Amino acid sequence: MTSDAEVIGTKSGSRPVERLRRLITRRPESRAVILLAIVSLGAIILEPLVFTAYSATLGRIALIGLVALGLTAVILMGELDLSVASTLAVSGVVMASIDSLPGGILVALIVGVCIGVANAFFVVVVGINSFIATLGMLFFLRGLAFVISDEQPVRIANIDAGIAFGKPLIGDFTPRMLIFLAVFVVMHVFTTRVRVGREFYAVGGNRTAAYDAGIPVRRRIFTGFMISGFVAAGAGAINTLERTAADPTSGSTVLLSSFAAAIIGGILLTGGRGSVLGTLLGAASLGILQVGLTHSAVQVDVQNIVIGAVLFVAVISDPASVRAVFERVRIAVRSRRHQQTPVTSA
Amino acid sequence: MTASNVETAAPSRSNTDNLAPRSAVVTGWLADRGIFVVTAVVVVLSAIFVDGFASLDNITDVFNRAAPIGIVAAGMTFVVISANYLDLSVVAQVATGAVVLIGVSNSRGLVVAVLVAAVIAVIYGAVNGIAVGVFKANAVIVTLSTTFIGLGLLRWASGGSIYFGSEGTLIRRFGTFEIGPFPLSMIALVLIALLLEFVLNRTTFGFAVKSFGSNPAAARLAGVDTARVVIGAFTFSAFGAMLGGFVLGAFSNTAVSAMSSGYDFRALAAIIVGGTSVFGGKGSVLRTLLGVVFVSILTNLMVLSGLGFGYQQMAIGGLIVVAVSVDALARKATR
Repeated sequence: MTSDAEVIGTKSGSRPVERLRRLITRRPESRAVILLAIVSLGAIILEPLVFTAYSATLGRIALIGLVALGLTAVILMGELDLSVASTLAVSGVVMASIDSLPGGILVALIVGVCIGVANAFFVVVVGINSFIATLGMLFFLRGLAFVISDEQPVRIANIDAGIAFGKPLIGDFTPRMLIFLAVFVVMHVFTTRVRVGREFYAVGGNRTAAYDAGIPVRRRIFTGFMISGFVAAGAGAINTLERTAADPTSGSTVLLSSFAAAIIGGILLTGGRGSVLGTLLGAASLGILQVGLTHSAVQVDVQNIVIGAVLFVAVISDPASVRAVFERVRIAVRSRRHQQTPVTSA
Repeated sequence: MTASNVETAAPSRSNTDNLAPRSAVVTGWLADRGIFVVTAVVVVLSAIFVDGFASLDNITDVFNRAAPIGIVAAGMTFVVISANYLDLSVVAQVATGAVVLIGVSNSRGLVVAVLVAAVIAVIYGAVNGIAVGVFKANAVIVTLSTTFIGLGLLRWASGGSIYFGSEGTLIRRFGTFEIGPFPLSMIALVLIALLLEFVLNRTTFGFAVKSFGSNPAAARLAGVDTARVVIGAFTFSAFGAMLGGFVLGAFSNTAVSAMSSGYDFRALAAIIVGGTSVFGGKGSVLRTLLGVVFVSILTNLMVLSGLGFGYQQMAIGGLIVVAVSVDALARKATR
């Protein structure tokens, strides 16, 4: 009797659990939601300052997330853009070297788009794997930033504008946060409602099928890299404005945190799966984690360890990876069973 | 006998020439042997035109600097051949190797330092290799994250301090020891490269790495344990990086966590310029040595002409892109 009741109980009880499990495996953002929940809970209990002084947290999220949003466009197509970190540095240095502020920003953004075009050229026309092409660009552009800036931080001419830029504009929101939100909304609409953006998923999911369906695959890849370069250059311009100087060495931690945000957000590195919303959630959890660690007076070295570990866990825990591991374990178990029993059939 | 051999060899060669277009043959040849020609031309030209290049001191300096990068690149060649792009975490590993060699041997002795470094190398190889080989995660992202974890752990453990070798220790002597005109670091580089070349060409593991790199699915069907291959490749890379860190630490007699920045892309540039394909399956450690010589000479020339760190980085980054482009175009043309 009791055992029957138990069985029935577990059966009816497992249904919402089952539904939740299916939801978690189906939605790409689920990992980001889980991490965000854990991190937020930890922050509320251990370091409530993260939420009471929320403007610092929001600023950090915007800092991490902006580059990651641009990156999302490229990763959706199964490509990577490692050069974003250096694009950020180069565009910042270029902007600071030009005396006129609007002119500088404009040139910086154009530089970003040009870098995107160059990346896409190597990937699409020459046919190099995007990891290697953008890695080469990463080093090349890092050197370029050093050369332009003469290996020194470059001050911007209009320091007052920079100081004004760091102050809240609407309510508690600084221009950086507003730009981040605007880019998020644009990217979200672009990838969910606009045809070109929807086609990114098709290109990433199955490139041959996308080509057969009449999608201009090469042009889409160009668009993706241009978006990524443009957004990274924008982030570089914002950093330069807020700090009133461009640092040619900036960007090494950006590489780690922006990729971490996108990958925690559930985007698949092989393309075709993921969302801009996921990237936002990933950036939010990373931002809260970082600010929380800073408030708890954790050293930068240890923070890097934590964020590196989060990225490591995120990249090995996507559904395809977990499936690969299960498959391997299954094969290992089966082959052991075969070895134990005497061979009767092949 | 020999005449008939030549006769049978000659037609088949012209046959392949006819099959592939002329341009493909040229680009293929360039991708294959171009580096020998370019290195020779660069050496001759710079010996004539660049002041101070041909002096014995300068050449010794070039090879002293090439040795640690060469050992790192020799180990990393396995990762590149297994079609896993590269191992970014060598930056953390080289610094760890140097700090362990000097820091640990100052307090506990050389034997303990070598054991600690070996254990760390095995851990790096296992972590990177399992993530890439078993979990099928992207090698670039995995090694990017392990770089930050590794460097963070190193700085945290060492407190960011600089270690100096004590006077008269074995390490100190190793760093300055010379056999004839050759510094010991160079001899170590050549021996390690020969050993790794042997492993790559004459062992089952080396063959498995190559076959996995050229076609993972076919290798798996042929019974190659793919996870073991990837873990092995990353372990070789980690041991190479540790030894590179040893040589670097012994040579400069100091060790600090920031000393190895740039080793990742210098090693990658050397490997690719040497002719190992980033598309996997094809390559050799000895060619990587030649790539290292080329990259070191290039850097040396830029230093001699007063071009700073920025220009050097641009050159090496550009070199990676150009070398891979040549490889990719050659592949396209022959297909």
